[in-house]
Amino acid sequence: MGWLDALRKASSIRPSPKKGDVDEELFDDEFQRKLDYLAIVSRRVFSGRMRAERRTKKSGSGVEFADHRDYQPGDDIRYLDWNVYQRFDRLLLRLFEEEEDLAIYFIVDASASMGFGGGRKLRYAKRVCAALAYVGLANLDRVSIVSTSDHILERMPQTRGKARIFKVFRFLKEIEANGATDLEDALKAFVAQNKRRGLAVLISDLYDPRGFERGLNVLRYNKFDPFVVHVVDPGDGKPRLHGDVLLYDCETGDEREVTVTAKVLDRYASAHREYLAEVERFCATHQVPYIAADVNVPVDELILRVFRRGGFLR
Amino acid sequence: MILAGLPIAHLLGIFAAAASIVVALYVLKLRRRAVAIPFSPLWQRILRDKEATSLFSKLKRLLSLLVQLVLLALLVLALGDPRAAASLMKGRTLVVLVDASASMRATDVAPTRLDAAKVEVKALVRGLGGADRMLVAQMDAMVTPLGPMSGDTAELEREVDAIGPTDTRADLPRALRFATDALRGADEPEIVVVSDGALGPASDSEGGVHLGDVKLSFVPIGKGHRNVALTQFSVRRYPLDKSRYEVMLEVTNTGDAQEDVEVSLLGDGQLVDLTKLRLQPGERLPRFYPNLSGASRTLEANVALAGGLHDDLPADDHAFALLPERRRAKVLVVSDGNLYLQAALLLDEYLEVTTVTPAAYAKAAAEAASHVDVVIFDRVTPAELPRAHALYLDPRGPGAPVKVGDEIERPGFDKIDRKHPVVRFIALDDVNISKAHALKGENGDKVLGTSEPGGAILVAGERGGYKFVALGFDPAESDLPLRTAWPLFLLDTINWFDDEDASYLSSFRTGEVWRVPVAVGATTATLKDPTGDVQPVPIHDGRAVTMGERAGFYELSTPAPSASEPAVTTAFAANLLDQAESTIAPAKELVVDGKTASAVKGFHVGVRRELWIYLLLLVALISAIEWATYHRRVTV
Repeated sequence: MGWLDALRKASSIRPSPKKGDVDEELFDDEFQRKLDYLAIVSRRVFSGRMRAERRTKKSGSGVEFADHRDYQPGDDIRYLDWNVYQRFDRLLLRLFEEEEDLAIYFIVDASASMGFGGGRKLRYAKRVCAALAYVGLANLDRVSIVSTSDHILERMPQTRGKARIFKVFRFLKEIEANGATDLEDALKAFVAQNKRRGLAVLISDLYDPRGFERGLNVLRYNKFDPFVVHVVDPGDGKPRLHGDVLLYDCETGDEREVTVTAKVLDRYASAHREYLAEVERFCATHQVPYIAADVNVPVDELILRVFRRGGFLR
Repeated sequence: MILAGLPIAHLLGIFAAAASIVVALYVLKLRRRAVAIPFSPLWQRILRDKEATSLFSKLKRLLSLLVQLVLLALLVLALGDPRAAASLMKGRTLVVLVDASASMRATDVAPTRLDAAKVEVKALVRGLGGADRMLVAQMDAMVTPLGPMSGDTAELEREVDAIGPTDTRADLPRALRFATDALRGADEPEIVVVSDGALGPASDSEGGVHLGDVKLSFVPIGKGHRNVALTQFSVRRYPLDKSRYEVMLEVTNTGDAQEDVEVSLLGDGQLVDLTKLRLQPGERLPRFYPNLSGASRTLEANVALAGGLHDDLPADDHAFALLPERRRAKVLVVSDGNLYLQAALLLDEYLEVTTVTPAAYAKAAAEAASHVDVVIFDRVTPAELPRAHALYLDPRGPGAPVKVGDEIERPGFDKIDRKHPVVRFIALDDVNISKAHALKGENGDKVLGTSEPGGAILVAGERGGYKFVALGFDPAESDLPLRTAWPLFLLDTINWFDDEDASYLSSFRTGEVWRVPVAVGATTATLKDPTGDVQPVPIHDGRAVTMGERAGFYELSTPAPSASEPAVTTAFAANLLDQAESTIAPAKELVVDGKTASAVKGFHVGVRRELWIYLLLLVALISAIEWATYHRRVTV
């Protein structure tokens, strides 16, 4: 018991992501300029709190024409449509779409599996989150970030404005991989804490023993607009194993004695590919936008090409 | 089938104990290497399918255990040394004499006869029966056993590989005596001679060899016999003109066809003479080369077939000699004047003569005497013995190395030690002497000339490490200075002092015991042979005693007498020069002690009667298969 635990502990110790690497490595000026022109697309329209650049169901003082309605006494006569009055002899009031802000929630999976393999997945997730958060902040959306494992680990309250990007960096910097994954429990807590609905961007490897579907369904059933960024490390599908080994889950500690042969490795690679396809299939079936983020693809390429091609950014 | 090793009860006990250990090790689970994975459910998916075949896995595991038990059983059985009952007959005891003499270097069978002999012997080794034991011995001028009596084929093959060629003749009687001694009392004794048959008769000074009950077998080697050889080679400088020398050699055609040959003589590596000769079958042709010059140190004679052809034995186509080193000897003459003496010493241009008066010698030249090679005291006797070789002419007084006795009237050389280098080849018998004094030497001194009656008048010996010769009369009072013997006596004496006599041996013969003179007082010496190997040699009676097996130039080194002087190195040559060895026509049969050797029988290559070797091979084979299948995950 003792030595095996010690061995596991030793093997589970991975180099934690270098603190401060998010802001240092992601945001060079060139990339930042490109991000300035991007905006996050939400398929649904949520009511905002403050005036911003996003249309809402409300009509008001925006610049985008929405509809006409009959004039009622007391209405501001500046919005009367005199052209219609001349043609139809009716007093109609021009209605404009109100532009408000959008609530964007970034849910970063910080379970132990995200730190597996030297923490590449978690580092990558942080960079993607930072880039998308900057896009949201630049469009005056309200950005909030939570880190989860089998519960909510840390929470950055909603904030807006480009200047708050450094707050985002500081928050991301403190996130470390630890604990088991339980998306259902964690996202239940998330929806309970966030009454204002909005876009929920889940950045995770989706290694959930109880099933990633449950977690995504929590978001769907609670009227959030879920968006899945599936962080994929191809190395997970090709483990460097050979011979008689005792495999143990880095999150749950489940053990399994396996004699690894080339045939077994092939079958594992097939199972891994099948799992990825399963995730993609679920998202497609349930109309959940899905992006597979390969950690070997540079983050700027992912943001500027893959996300735009997927319609998440415009 | 019977067990020649451990009894069956012991084997069963060993197997039970070892098998229980093997089973226990199989029951214990292998401690596996712990490896972390990110998501175990994926592994559970694929291992669910694998569990369906777990029964097959268990079977494979059981099979693996059975294989281990089979391996164990084979090993334990090997310990029992199982044999076929028919193989328990008495084993033979064999002594294989492999001829490594010069004739076995013949190239009529590629690459050489000796290599062909080794192949034959290895075939015998591989064909040994399980109870047979063999001793391999190299037969040349000596007989050298290469290992103990053994049945281990690998060891015997290594011994066969260690056999090396020599330039000596084979001593068959000695080898047969060694073999019969080694086989005395042994079961089924047999001597196998592997040779080309150039062995000579099986008898020597001790008489013929008696084999008794020992069986004699013969493995003939070789097929060709075309050979011309140098069978004699000698060289010497002229005593009175050491810049010139003469050479005598003999060329022999041992083949059965007429041969045209070229004999070349090289001095210091340069061609001195080239002669074309025609030799009839079996012809021995001596050649004499007088009055040669142009070489100062080495001489080499080569014989080759005309037209660039090669005979079957290159080893006897070369002969080597070293000319005596020409050294300018320093001679100090202590005399009041003696024209006869000075004139005689002028004959040898390699003498550096200095003359002093007795008075001058007494004052200062005594010390100088230690820096010369020879001191001649002409009718003078010093107070002390000089630290150099000395010739005393008519010595007197207490300083003489010998006691000077009574005067002898009209003495003569009635008895002469003609073997001694000082008086060898000198006619002293009729020398007329007016008067002389009898000389009496010490033990160890040699009387070279005696007058009867009267006593010794010429004595040689050694005092304090330096040689001396004392002549008991004044040459001026005899007719000796008028004779040819006078300068020869003086020069022979000086040459004896300088050990130049030894160098008349222009070369040694390989395979014989050599006694090479070394520097006075030397106690250790090293010998560098023609292959460059250096080995220490013992010194006995002032001579290094050794035996060389290779023809060519040797260097004998003795340590420096003192720190200020260099080490003393003596070079000499050794040659085969043996017509018997050069006669390489292979013999068809070998006759010893009236018995004709039979062909070898009872050697079946590739079949050993010891089954344990095959059991071990089977164990190795099964282990290899199991190893391969394990690493290819067939049996995992």
